[in-house]
Amino acid sequence: MRLLPASSPTRRLLVAFVLPAAVVFAATGCTVAGATSPDASAGPSATDASTHLVEHARGETEVPNDVQRVVVLEPVQLDTTVALGVIPVGAAVLNEAAGVPAYLGEDAAGIATVGTVPEPSVEKIAALKPDLILGTESRHSALYGQLSTIAPTVFMATQTDPWTDNVALVARALGDEAGADQLLADYTDRCAEIADTYDVAGMTAQFVRPRDGILTLYGPTSFAGSTLECAGFTIPERDWEESISVDISPERVLEAQADLVLVSATDVTDETLVPESIRSNAAAFPGLNVVDQSFWITGVGPLGGMTVLDDIDRILAETK
Amino acid sequence: MVTTLTKPARTGHGPTRAAWFVVAVVVLVGAAGLSVVVGANPMSPGTVLGTILGGGTDESRYLVWDQRIPRTAAGLVVGAALGVAGALIQAFTRNPLADPGILGVNAGAAFFVAVGITFFGVTSPYGYVWLACAGALVLTVGVYTIGSAGGDHAGPVRLTVTGVAIGAVFAGLTTGLTLTHPDSFDRMRGWSAGTLLERGFDVVLPVLPLVLLGLTLALVAAPGLNSIALGSDVARSQGVDVRRTRLAVLAAVTLLAGGATAVAGPLVFVGLVVPHLVRWTVGSDQRWIVVGSLLLGPALVLLSDVLGRILVLPSEMPVGIVTAFVGAPVLIILARRRSASAL
Repeated sequence: MRLLPASSPTRRLLVAFVLPAAVVFAATGCTVAGATSPDASAGPSATDASTHLVEHARGETEVPNDVQRVVVLEPVQLDTTVALGVIPVGAAVLNEAAGVPAYLGEDAAGIATVGTVPEPSVEKIAALKPDLILGTESRHSALYGQLSTIAPTVFMATQTDPWTDNVALVARALGDEAGADQLLADYTDRCAEIADTYDVAGMTAQFVRPRDGILTLYGPTSFAGSTLECAGFTIPERDWEESISVDISPERVLEAQADLVLVSATDVTDETLVPESIRSNAAAFPGLNVVDQSFWITGVGPLGGMTVLDDIDRILAETK
Repeated sequence: MVTTLTKPARTGHGPTRAAWFVVAVVVLVGAAGLSVVVGANPMSPGTVLGTILGGGTDESRYLVWDQRIPRTAAGLVVGAALGVAGALIQAFTRNPLADPGILGVNAGAAFFVAVGITFFGVTSPYGYVWLACAGALVLTVGVYTIGSAGGDHAGPVRLTVTGVAIGAVFAGLTTGLTLTHPDSFDRMRGWSAGTLLERGFDVVLPVLPLVLLGLTLALVAAPGLNSIALGSDVARSQGVDVRRTRLAVLAAVTLLAGGATAVAGPLVFVGLVVPHLVRWTVGSDQRWIVVGSLLLGPALVLLSDVLGRILVLPSEMPVGIVTAFVGAPVLIILARRRSASAL
């Protein structure tokens, strides 16, 4: 289902061939937009009561207090703005064919896409006439100049920082820190609730993403890993090489063992997506569950976190 | 017969050549042995032997029977197919830089796999096999049809140019498709690097008949290639059916390269380097080059795969990346030799 969304093959074929052309137009259009925009980076810079100063990865920016038209370029920003009740007018998505992730709910379904997360379209962003743009320095650094001529632009440093830090930055940009604190408190409460209900203490859990035979194990600093630990699980110890995840050969599949093993897939009903290495060692993986990668991997943010916790709740309820 | 008339340029190879083939067989057997013994999850040779003889633990049985033996078999088939396909295409086009992908085989296979992944939700290596085979066949037939249009039969130069042109178009389409569909890009990434991971017997066995047919055609066509190397007219005067030999060679290359690509994805450099190595050491007789490539192709693939398993522990490096690293220096050394290997 998620693999093949509603759109017909012909339409997607069309998209595949028309989009590259669109990108070319966008690229040529960019320069025009950059050249014609009046007084670059000035924006609503007058420091008065209607704006607040936000410190971020690219310096300090005056942001209107009452933003109405936000464009987000990073999944965690999309998730957080929706969670705070500010539905963005545009969002860069990981997969243009799939669009805005379904877990964000109906309110988010109508958000316009402005290209992909690694390559957002400045043209499309400008067309939406935003009053705030949120992006990521490690991904969109080169676009900052252009974006800040369109609207006040706030950049977080990287998507690999602890996600709660990035949630806090988005909240500061929107001027709703109390709302973000509440969301994170709700998340922590939900974690504690699961840990208590199912007596999780002492149990290990491992989140695994299969890729072409290689298995990617997610560590405690990853979004999925931190949510599992928040819910009371321990991730089996190993050398995480100071990274959020470590790849292992299928020959070492037994290193992925845990009381609860979660394997990500684009379609949880398709059993062939479980890697052969794990299927061949079924006896070593009694607590195996296939989970939806659209929120377990890419659902970074308070809403995604809650969705993952709901999923953990469901899995534990089924196995008890 | 033809064979007596087309002795290789260099003679007196008798004992040397016999010794060369003994060495090649030893290297191949050694590579296959290493491929069963060495892996990302270290196991003593004794344990491996014990497991093969019916003992071992659950884990060692999984490592030997589910991982190493199937991928060794896949490496043998893929390497043999690519080595021979490379030898044939270099002789056929009389171009030392030709590799089996020059007729659009890889581009066609990749495009079909990309379409299958993007629009039909194909996710398993088993599914890729048939898509890749179909793509390779369709595109080579297309290249042959276009290359031979206009009355004249398909000459090597025309075919090469057509193959490169059409291959470029389809490579572009594949790129367009995967860049606009990140999920497909993710899945294609592993395939297009070339890998033997999770290529079990369920993937290799369906392709085996195609490869065997291709190898048979190659052995039948090789003597004729010796004559064609002297020019079409000479070949004709020697009683070689040039058109039929060329068709057999093209069919063999398509089956071999298509089959290999279907199993492992496009493995670069194997088809290019192996025939050079063989030509360098056994001379220019196409029959011996084909047989030599049949032995050295799988040896190169298996040794590269073994390297890939231990280079980036605890993960693995796809064999296609290793063959590129191993193949490039070999090719440079060969190119710098004073007398280029005759074709």
